[in-house]
Amino acid sequence: MTRFDISRRHLMQMGLGGVGAMALGARGVMAQETSVALQLSWLHSVQFAGSYIADERGFWADRGLSVRLDAGGPNAPVEPPVVTGNALVGISAADYTASAVQEGAPFRIIGVAMQNNPFAIASLPDNPVNEPKDMEGKRIGMPLANMPVLQTLATLNDVDIDRIEVIPTQYDAAPLVAGQVDCLLCWSTDLPIAMYVQGIDSVTMLMADFGYTLHSQTYIATEDSLANRRADLVALMAGEVMGWEEYRRDLDAATDLTLARFPDAGLDRPTQIEQARRQVPLMFSDLTDANGFGWWTDDTVARNIETLALLGMPVDAALWDRSILEEVHG
Amino acid sequence: MTAQARHDLARQALGVLAVLLLWHLAAQAVLGSYMLSGPVAVATYLAEHHALIGRALWVTVQNAGWGFLAGNLAAILLVLVVALLPRMRVIVAAIALVVFCLPLVATGPVLRVLYGPGPGPQITLAALSVYYTTFIPLLVGLRAAPASWFDLMRLYGRGAWTTFVQVRLMAALPYLMAGLQIAAPAAFLGAMVGEFTGAERGMGVLSIRAMRALDVDATWAIALVAAAVSMLAYGAVGALARRLSHGRPDILMATAPERARGNAMLRGAGLAGVTLLVVLALWWVAMEAFDLSRFFAKRPDDLWRFLVTAPGAEGNRAALWAASSQTLVQVVPGYLAGLALGAVLAMVLVLVPWLAGAVLPLAIALRSVPIVTTAPLIVLALGRGSAGTITIVAVMTFFPALVACIQGLRQAPGQALDMMRIYATSPLMRLWHAQIPAMLPAFFAAARMSVPAAVLAVTVAEWLATGRGLGALMAMTASTSNYNMLWAAIVVVAAGSCLGYALVAWLERAVFSRVAPEQLRG
Repeated sequence: MTRFDISRRHLMQMGLGGVGAMALGARGVMAQETSVALQLSWLHSVQFAGSYIADERGFWADRGLSVRLDAGGPNAPVEPPVVTGNALVGISAADYTASAVQEGAPFRIIGVAMQNNPFAIASLPDNPVNEPKDMEGKRIGMPLANMPVLQTLATLNDVDIDRIEVIPTQYDAAPLVAGQVDCLLCWSTDLPIAMYVQGIDSVTMLMADFGYTLHSQTYIATEDSLANRRADLVALMAGEVMGWEEYRRDLDAATDLTLARFPDAGLDRPTQIEQARRQVPLMFSDLTDANGFGWWTDDTVARNIETLALLGMPVDAALWDRSILEEVHG
Repeated sequence: MTAQARHDLARQALGVLAVLLLWHLAAQAVLGSYMLSGPVAVATYLAEHHALIGRALWVTVQNAGWGFLAGNLAAILLVLVVALLPRMRVIVAAIALVVFCLPLVATGPVLRVLYGPGPGPQITLAALSVYYTTFIPLLVGLRAAPASWFDLMRLYGRGAWTTFVQVRLMAALPYLMAGLQIAAPAAFLGAMVGEFTGAERGMGVLSIRAMRALDVDATWAIALVAAAVSMLAYGAVGALARRLSHGRPDILMATAPERARGNAMLRGAGLAGVTLLVVLALWWVAMEAFDLSRFFAKRPDDLWRFLVTAPGAEGNRAALWAASSQTLVQVVPGYLAGLALGAVLAMVLVLVPWLAGAVLPLAIALRSVPIVTTAPLIVLALGRGSAGTITIVAVMTFFPALVACIQGLRQAPGQALDMMRIYATSPLMRLWHAQIPAMLPAFFAAARMSVPAAVLAVTVAEWLATGRGLGALMAMTASTSNYNMLWAAIVVVAAGSCLGYALVAWLERAVFSRVAPEQLRG
C-alpha cells in the first residue's frame, strides 16, 4: 500500500509539474528547482504556519526553491543539522545561537521571527506572580536548562535568587495545577494556552516586559552559506517573509492549513488558534510594520547583547547579519 | 475447555479486574491534579480518537518491528562471531556493552544528522534497545548444554559444526526466546523515544504533544495503548517459545567459559586495556568515516583537551565528578532493590504458581508503560528526593530479572525434581537445593544486562524529574551546545556501566567457584 501511495504521489507531482510547466511556458521548464531544508525548532504546529503558507502558496517555488521543512523535537537540537549542511537554515534563538557560537559554530542570525521573547512566568490567580519581585519566597518549576534565564531575570530586576526555590520539571503545566510549584518558567505560547484550553485561569508575566530583551525564533545560517549560497538564502527568507505576512492577514486560514497539513500530529483547533493569536504580538511590532517581517535595528541588537552578557554569553554585533533581509526587503 | 484451563482463565480475569480497580482508585485519589487519568476517561478518549491513535500506532509498530528484526539479527550475528572465534568473546561483548550504554540524548541527534528525515533514527534506536538483551542470554544459552551431550557428539565422531547445530543451538533456544520476549516491549519503547529526534508522526510524537497540552486523558491513553502493544508482543513471543520448546531440559550444569591461564588479574587488566584501545579506535574511525562535524561529534582528543589540558579543565572535571557521584548514590540502591525484588518474586511464583496469573500481567504492565509517562507520577507519589529515583531504577531493573529468574527456575533438571518429589521433599527444599542453583546462571545474566538498564533509568529520571546528576547534566549541555561536556558525560556513563558489569561478572565467578565449580571448568 505504501509503495502505491508513494508512486501515486510522485505521479501526481509529475502530472502537476507538467501542467505547471505548460501554464508557465518555457520558464517553468527551464527553471531548475534547488532543494534545501529548513530545520524547525519543535514539532509541527501553528508555531511555523508562515512556512507552511510559503510552501502551499508557492512563494518558494516561484523563486526556484523547494524547501523541506524538518520537524524538531525534545531530542532534536537545531544546531547540528545546520552546521553539517543537512539544513540550509535553522530556527534557533539568540541565546542558543550565542552558546553554539561560543562552542565554535560559525553561525550568523539572518532574520528574527520573534521580536519579543516569549519566555514568561505563569502562575495561578490566587497566588499570582505579576512582577519579578513576587517570585521571592515561591517555588518555581522549570527545566534546569533554563537556570541562566531565571538568573538574568533576577539580576535585571533586583530579585534575590536565593529566595526562589527551583524545582526541576519538564515543559508540563501539571506540577503548577497539582500545587507542587507556585509558578512556572515557560513560553507564553505553550503552557498558559494548555491551561486556557483546559479551562484553568492563569496569570502570565511576560519577561520581555521586565527587561529580558532577547530575539527568539531566529533564522540562523552558517558563514559558509552566507558567502556561497546567497541566492538560496534570499529566496528562502523572501518566502518566509511573504508567508508570515499572509499568516498575519488571516490567522484562521493559517490554522486550518496547519491542521490540514498535519492530520497525524494530534493538533486540536482550539489550542492552535489560541497559539496563533498569542504569537502575533511577539512577531509583529512598529519596527516590523515600518521595515518588514524579520527586521532588527542596531538598538535592539545592543539590548540583546546586554541580556546575553548577563546570561554569560559575550557576543558582538557581528553575530547579526542583515544583508539577506536587506536584499529581501530592498 | 478443561477445568484447569477454566480455572486459569478465571484467575487471569480476576487479575485484570484487580488492576483496573486499583487504577480507578488511584485516579480518584489524585483527581484534579492532572497527573493520572482513570479507566473511563481513557476509554472515552480512545473511542473518540481511534483513527488518529490507529495511524500513529501503525507507524510506530512498523519502526519497532524493523528495529526488533535488525537488533535481534545483529545479536545473533554477534553471538555467531563469538561462537566461531571464542578468543573474541570478551572484546565483542565489551563493544556490544559500550554501544548499548550510549545515552539516547547523544545518539539521537547524531543519528538524525546521519539519516536525515525519515524513520532511520527510530528504527536504529529500537534496534539498539533490543540487541543487547538478546545477545547476553544467547551467549549464556550456547554454553547451557550438559557436558554429556558434548561427550556423546565426540563419541559419535561428530565435528564442531554438527555439535554447534545439534547441541548448542538447541540448548540456546529457550535463552533466545527469553531474550526475544524482553526485546519485544523494548523495541516499541525504543521506537517511541526515537521519535523525539524530529519525527512527524507516531505514538512518541502524540505523547509529547499530549503532555505539553496538559491533556492527561490523551497522555494515559497513549501510554496504555503502548503498554498493551508491548504486552501483546511479549505474550506472542512467549507463546511461540512454548511451541518451540520441547519439555523440561535434562540436566542443567553446563560446560563453561575457558579457564583463565596464568595470572587472572593480569590477564583481565590486559584484556581491559585492549578493549579500551579498540573502543577508542572505533569511536574515532566511525566519526571520521562519516565525516561528522567536530562541533557536536567530539573525538577522544577533544575530550582529552576538555578534561586535561584546556584552561578550565579542573572545573570541568569537578562538575563531571559532582554529577557522577549524585547519580551513583541513586542507581546502586535502585539496582539492587530491583534485582532482589525480581528474584524473590520469581521464587514466590514457583512456590505459589496460581499467583502468576495475577502478578505477571501487573509486572509486565508496570514495565511496559513508557517511563516518560510514569516518572512524573512516581515522583508525585514519592517526592523529588532519592526515593522516587530509586523506585524508577528498581522498576526498570526488576522486570528483566523476574523474566530471567522464572526462566532459570524452570531449568532445574526434571529427574532431580522428580527424585525429590518421590522422597516427599517440601517445595521449599526443592527450591533451595535444585531450583535456585539452576536459576543462578540466568539470574547473573539478568544482573549483568540490568546494569545498563539501571543506568538508563536513572539518567532518564534525573533528566525528567529530579534535575540532578548525569541525566540532568547531559540534557542541559545538549541544549547549550556544550558537546564537550555531553561526550565527557557519555564516557562516564559507558565506562561506569562497563565497570558495574565487570563487577557483577567477577561476583558471578566468585559465587560459582563456591556453589557450582563445574560452571567454571574448561
